[in-house]
Amino acid sequence: MTAPDSGSATITQEKATVGHKRLQIPAIYFALTLLVVLVILFTLGNQNFLSAYNLNTIGNYAAILSVVALGQMNTILIGGIDLSVGGLMSFTSVLFVVLLQLIGVWAFPICILVALAVGYVNGAILTRIKIPSFIATLGTGGILTSLALLVSPLPVVAPGSKYGLLDLVNGNLLGIPNLLLLALAAFVLFYVTLRFTKIGRNIYYVGSNIKMSWMSGIDIVGTRNFAFVLSGFGAGLAAIMLSCNQFGGDPTLGNVYILQSIAAVVVGGTALTGGTGGAVNTIIGALILAVMENGMNVVGVDAYFQQSILGLVIIISVALTFDRTKTAMIK
Amino acid sequence: MSAAVLELQRITKRYPGVVALDGVDFTVYENEILGLVGENGAGKSTLMKILIGLIQPDQGTYRLRGAPVVIKNPAHAANLGVGMVFQEGCLVPNLSIMENLFLCHEIGFRHFGFLSKRKMRDAAHAALGTVKVAADLDTPVSETTPAVRQMIEIARLLWLSKLYQQRNPVLILDEPTTVLTDDERNTLFSIATELKSQASIILISHRLQEIVETSDRILIMKDGKRVANIQARHAGIPEIEQMMVGHAFAADRFREDEQIPPGDQVTLTLENVSKRGVFEPLNFEVRQGEIISLVGLVGSGKEALCRCIAGLEKPDTGSIKLAGKRLTPGSPSEAVRAGIGHIPIDRRSDGLALGMTIAENVNLLVLDHLKVGGFISPQREKKNALRWIQDCRIKAPSPSTMCVNLSGGNQQKTVIAKWLSSKIHLLVLDHPTRGVDVGAKDEIYRLIRQLARTGVGMIIMCDTLEEDIGLCGRMLIMKDGQLVNEVNCPPYRKPSPSDIISSIV
Repeated sequence: MTAPDSGSATITQEKATVGHKRLQIPAIYFALTLLVVLVILFTLGNQNFLSAYNLNTIGNYAAILSVVALGQMNTILIGGIDLSVGGLMSFTSVLFVVLLQLIGVWAFPICILVALAVGYVNGAILTRIKIPSFIATLGTGGILTSLALLVSPLPVVAPGSKYGLLDLVNGNLLGIPNLLLLALAAFVLFYVTLRFTKIGRNIYYVGSNIKMSWMSGIDIVGTRNFAFVLSGFGAGLAAIMLSCNQFGGDPTLGNVYILQSIAAVVVGGTALTGGTGGAVNTIIGALILAVMENGMNVVGVDAYFQQSILGLVIIISVALTFDRTKTAMIK
Repeated sequence: MSAAVLELQRITKRYPGVVALDGVDFTVYENEILGLVGENGAGKSTLMKILIGLIQPDQGTYRLRGAPVVIKNPAHAANLGVGMVFQEGCLVPNLSIMENLFLCHEIGFRHFGFLSKRKMRDAAHAALGTVKVAADLDTPVSETTPAVRQMIEIARLLWLSKLYQQRNPVLILDEPTTVLTDDERNTLFSIATELKSQASIILISHRLQEIVETSDRILIMKDGKRVANIQARHAGIPEIEQMMVGHAFAADRFREDEQIPPGDQVTLTLENVSKRGVFEPLNFEVRQGEIISLVGLVGSGKEALCRCIAGLEKPDTGSIKLAGKRLTPGSPSEAVRAGIGHIPIDRRSDGLALGMTIAENVNLLVLDHLKVGGFISPQREKKNALRWIQDCRIKAPSPSTMCVNLSGGNQQKTVIAKWLSSKIHLLVLDHPTRGVDVGAKDEIYRLIRQLARTGVGMIIMCDTLEEDIGLCGRMLIMKDGQLVNEVNCPPYRKPSPSDIISSIV
């Protein structure tokens, strides 16, 4: 056999193979197109859709949803899911308002720490007790919902004397609402973590192929725990933002965010099977959900009909990104 | 010559980036044993999958007993009298021999609406009689030997062809002897020869000796094409080998002239390492730049030993030392940190993040070195990936090509590049050339030699004994969990496979 000439260029186009077609059209293009189409449709349906007032409404909702969803995204990237974000948000919300009364500004860091700890517990149940995150977080979510109701069975109003502290969220900086700035900060944090840090990259490796990751010496326990801690952080921060925005806590406020956060993540193009997607996807996904939620009301889509449209969008998004080679059987 | 029972004409099957079968003609005559040989990736298994309807060809015609057919699935094939005995076996382990024999076809044994066990027993005895198995029909299949399982599968296929009144069924035996002892192998071939009176048999094997001895006719495949169709009595093993690989063996196929003597320093030391029920306490050393080949049959314990070295399993006793430093047993992260790499046999499921890019896969172990100011630098990441893509000659449009879109050989080179780029001292290679084409094989041999030159010690398990002999400097032979022999394989003075085979079996 003749030895191949050593100087030949190896980057060639000739082997441009077409593997899984599904992976070749990044889902993010679908998401972006959907967002643009929705905005155009709703604007055509009602010119007030793009009014400053309405954009502010969409922005508030999108800001809070994207923070929960950015956290949720990490658990989905590793191939898991966090169903406890709802319970955690409810619990953090009432805890925050109660603590605000008692210890003032310290309520902020303490609530964040509590949320981080809850995230760690979720991760530990998955990695140490070794039960699927779907079940683990369903359980902790239930416990947290109870805890929220035990702290306060009814919505609690923030004390008027502490309204100044709420301005940390409700105020403006150079004309930009702090709520949006906080969401932007969360986005930058998650984006940088996933793109430019080793632990962020490890989230992708573990989500893409956990066995390979283990065999290559990646700390898979630590990585999975970290993903759930990030999810706890997102839920905790979102709960604080929401409570400030509403001037009070509510022991049931988190419920809608379980499905909404998962929907935002997958509609943005992060695969439920793990390993692909990212922070940009999630922001777009959250915007799509916020635009749909608001736009369908603005143009007067029958309220009974709205859920089915949302459901359709979720099914299409998952169909586009779901890696069928990873699950031998679709259950 | 007797009539053709099965005829494939100009069969073509393409997969993304590779033509698995390229206009292959394939005929099986009545009452013959047809030997099918070819390297891994030559297209044998694709062809067999088409025969039993697991996949459909892109082009070509399939005729059975003269009539064109479209085989929908393996069950359909079995009804038409074409069946395959798989390497791993496809019986239901927790069901009994009899239940497996008649699985899904129990309806014929109805007696007043209920299954008649007596009728089934009679039929089962008759069916097993054709393959000379005398076993308790109620034994669960999981408690039988691989040889008996093969026979049950053969008996089932023969019985099915009778049930559906198919004359001269075609039985495919895929590497049947890899899991058999010598005696069992002889029994299998004598039964196969007897079955010729009522069936045709396609025999796939890497052991050319048994192919030449058992078959009537031999088909040789290479790179998706049929390269030869010869009468077995005219065939010599060297000629077959030459046709399989497309060049003479005399050429330096395993790059022997690049083989270097091992260095002075000991890289890996195993002391009394054992795993209960798998392998006995054993001791050996791997020196710098030395390539050690571990040889043995399935069940010899060599796989488990390699897994212990890579930290994927915990040995029960003993110590594994790298450059004199003892490693924590059973910790892959510790092994990787110490500099032990592992190229797994199944690169798709264990070696790569398929949905991620070449760059992300290659850089997995060296992310810390690609940081600027604490963050991974995309520029440095790309630069490092490009360097290794070039060094390992990975053929891809760009470093951001997803690994799922690469051919098997380029995927394997990506896995090797990943370990090459980090500073490893020892590499365990588990069948590194499995399922890659001849060109990529040569590239992998080149990389192995290159690694040796840089002082990396290697433990290798190969697809064929020839490859083991050609690549390694020293061969360790394992049998039933024990180290039974050690053979030196210096360049140009290599032992022949027949010298070694006696200590393996």
